[in-house]
Amino acid sequence: MADHEASKINHDNHLLLDQPCLRLPYELLRKNFRAAHLPFEKDSTSVKNLLKDTANGSLNGKASPQDVVKNLDQMLVKMRGLKRKLTAAAEEEDRLYRQMDARVAHLRELASLNTVDDVKYESWSRQRLDRLLVDYMLRHGYNASATALADERGMRDLVDIDTFVVLSKIRAALQSGSVQEALAWCGENKKELRRMPSNLEFMLRCQQYIEMMRTGSQSKMLEAINHAKKYITPFNDTYPVEVSNMAGLLAYRPDTALEPYASLYSASRWRRLADIFVEAHLNLLSLPTSPLLHIALSSGLSALKTPACHSRQSQADANDQLFSGSPEETTPRRKPATPSTPASPHPHPHHHHGTASLTTRVCPICSTELNALARNVRYAHHGKSRLLEHDLMLLPNGRVYGKARLDEYAAKSGLPADRVKDLTTGEVYSSDQLRKVFVT
Amino acid sequence: MDSTKQKLESLLEDLSRVNTLPRLSAAVEDVDKIIALLSSAREQVAGALDPHTASLTMTKLQNPIKTAFDSVNDDLKAASAAHKKLGRALDKSFPLKPLPADSDKMDEHLPLINRAIAMHLLREGQFSVTSTFITEVQENPPRPVSADPDASMADGANGTDDDGLPVPDDEDYNLTSLHSQELQERFAEMYTILQQLKAQNLMPAIEWARANSAELEARGSNLEFELSKLQYVWLFQGPAINGLPDDGRNGRAGALAYARQHFGRFQTRHLREIQHLASAMAFAPNLAASPYRATFATAVAFTDISASFTREFCSLLGLSAESPLYLAVTAGALALPQLMKYRLATRAKGTEWTTAGELPFETPLPESMLYHSIFVCPVSKEQTTDANPPMVIPCGHMLARETLQKLCKGSRFKCPYCPSEGQIKDARRVVL
Repeated sequence: MADHEASKINHDNHLLLDQPCLRLPYELLRKNFRAAHLPFEKDSTSVKNLLKDTANGSLNGKASPQDVVKNLDQMLVKMRGLKRKLTAAAEEEDRLYRQMDARVAHLRELASLNTVDDVKYESWSRQRLDRLLVDYMLRHGYNASATALADERGMRDLVDIDTFVVLSKIRAALQSGSVQEALAWCGENKKELRRMPSNLEFMLRCQQYIEMMRTGSQSKMLEAINHAKKYITPFNDTYPVEVSNMAGLLAYRPDTALEPYASLYSASRWRRLADIFVEAHLNLLSLPTSPLLHIALSSGLSALKTPACHSRQSQADANDQLFSGSPEETTPRRKPATPSTPASPHPHPHHHHGTASLTTRVCPICSTELNALARNVRYAHHGKSRLLEHDLMLLPNGRVYGKARLDEYAAKSGLPADRVKDLTTGEVYSSDQLRKVFVT
Repeated sequence: MDSTKQKLESLLEDLSRVNTLPRLSAAVEDVDKIIALLSSAREQVAGALDPHTASLTMTKLQNPIKTAFDSVNDDLKAASAAHKKLGRALDKSFPLKPLPADSDKMDEHLPLINRAIAMHLLREGQFSVTSTFITEVQENPPRPVSADPDASMADGANGTDDDGLPVPDDEDYNLTSLHSQELQERFAEMYTILQQLKAQNLMPAIEWARANSAELEARGSNLEFELSKLQYVWLFQGPAINGLPDDGRNGRAGALAYARQHFGRFQTRHLREIQHLASAMAFAPNLAASPYRATFATAVAFTDISASFTREFCSLLGLSAESPLYLAVTAGALALPQLMKYRLATRAKGTEWTTAGELPFETPLPESMLYHSIFVCPVSKEQTTDANPPMVIPCGHMLARETLQKLCKGSRFKCPYCPSEGQIKDARRVVL
């Protein structure tokens, strides 16, 4: 049956949202390794050369034993420095492997499941939700909340708090008008940024230039010109428009209304820099640019949403006749949420959904939490009817319920056997007023 | 049996094997050896009286140092090879698939998402995380990401949407209202009652059900009676099982007293069940072998009653029993492959969405995630909506209104599914 198909877990596709979960430790391992390898190359070459020179010098008598000792001390300093860096890198590597381990264990739980109806799937999926929530909080800079949630759930190794704390520090620095932190980060990741390619460093250099121009002081402006010669004009081929704008800026004061100079001086440029930085940082680590929660929500809200979720009609009296509306009203396919009757005042929350109460559950899209958010998404496409109930019966007021549920409700309400009660409106009818409805 | 499952399992196997491969820590040990070599050479040279010692030591030092550096280099290579192996395993079995970047403009509705998260955390009983979150959001409210800063949070956040539906008041969207007030208290109440139910104390739940009995009854819920019934059963079993004090209010006598005091009001609706409970007294010595066995299986009963309590409690607040955020994200993960497949196909063909309000592809979800009956007109194959509602014709068949209009010849039509004919005035709009 199709429903079984829908509950089966396709392990290949089910982990789309979890790609960063395994990717990121790997990317960080590589980054960490590069950070350790570079000083090794440098220090090993210089120590080996110094050693050779010292030995030669000592042999041909150019270097006294004192010189030899001095050089050996210098080598020791280098090596101890190298050891410190390698130790730090090794510790970071251990941490990343531990994270990898925890994540593999987490995904292994999913690998052991076959269908989403398995009770264990729920706890796995809840943990995934927690991961997505932490990811969302971190990306929006709510670091304390993210840390608190991760600690409450004991899942520090499943989320990437450290990475995002670094990111949000640099972002915050940019938003408050400081380029130093971001420039330092560019320095650390020069090669990768060039390969992407990213204009981040160029944009940061431009901002430095703009800030010098903003002061209006003669000396600062001279400094700006030197700065431009070093960092900006060499990029004339790559960013011709920007470079000429920078040159043009010399002629305008910060209070100019003339574009593009006004926006170059504008404070909002800092926010754009922060965005460019975040994008570069996320790309560098192969992380998606929007929070995973957004992706999951937009797909999930649509999949769950039905035309009934934002329908007022299900509350309004259904008892209207065909062709009763104006001609426009019957034109094909309008937005599903468009009410055909004037909007009613706030509905009573209990009746927020079409089929209320008695063994039906409140739909997540109809529930207060997501109702407004879901208004902006499309509803799911269904190729064939899917009914929650069987043996449908039509009540005189136009509402349709399954026979079993009507009987159950009547019994619970203490009605005599030949009476039924509308589950939504509470109207009571005689059973012989019911009509069978067939859905083909 | 399942190839995708095996693929994942073998990937995870590969990944955990990488964990045993050489690490950078080996390089640290070998650097230590270099430091030891250099230090001892330094001591020899510094302590020597003969100047030739220096040149001799230095010459002798060349090869060991070179070898030591080579082994550090080998260590690094080995560590890097382990990383690369990991990367290859990922590339092979878990290749990076780019996720859709524009997510229905979710980032224009951050206040709504924040509110949903806060409510979810409250539901989960994470009161301190919630309060941290709310404080952080308030200190640092989301800024609109739209390119046009003036059009900040234009729709959805407040006021009335273009589709003219009433949107709850501003304060409903304000996290402050969650922070201090009702909802938090309600969830705290729910949480306390659930904790008590877990500890097999029914009293707080019964009090709540009694206070809300009118609403519960209107919903057709038996919760109050079910709780009282369980309390009777619980008392009935006596101190040996329920661990309550052994006095007149416990045991069979206590149960009977409880029934006399509280069952009266349920008599009209649940007479048969009450009689059933009372007759159990006769089987008291050997309940386990009696027909009353099921009624007195309390272990399951407490779990079940907790679930129905949560459902009713949330329903009275107009909320779904399961966290909507959890359901939406789970459904999202299930539907995402379809979305990506569609995106790929349309990108290749250069076509785009065709229907305004509806997804152009199916996103099958399991039965458990179906909350509304879906009626697809068997003729037009379209889902019914407010604008095109389902209609029942006199023979009892259901069609979409637009279909019926097209079928009409004058004021009459013939049912496409049976030989009967009908008048348009006899067609009834129905609400599923």
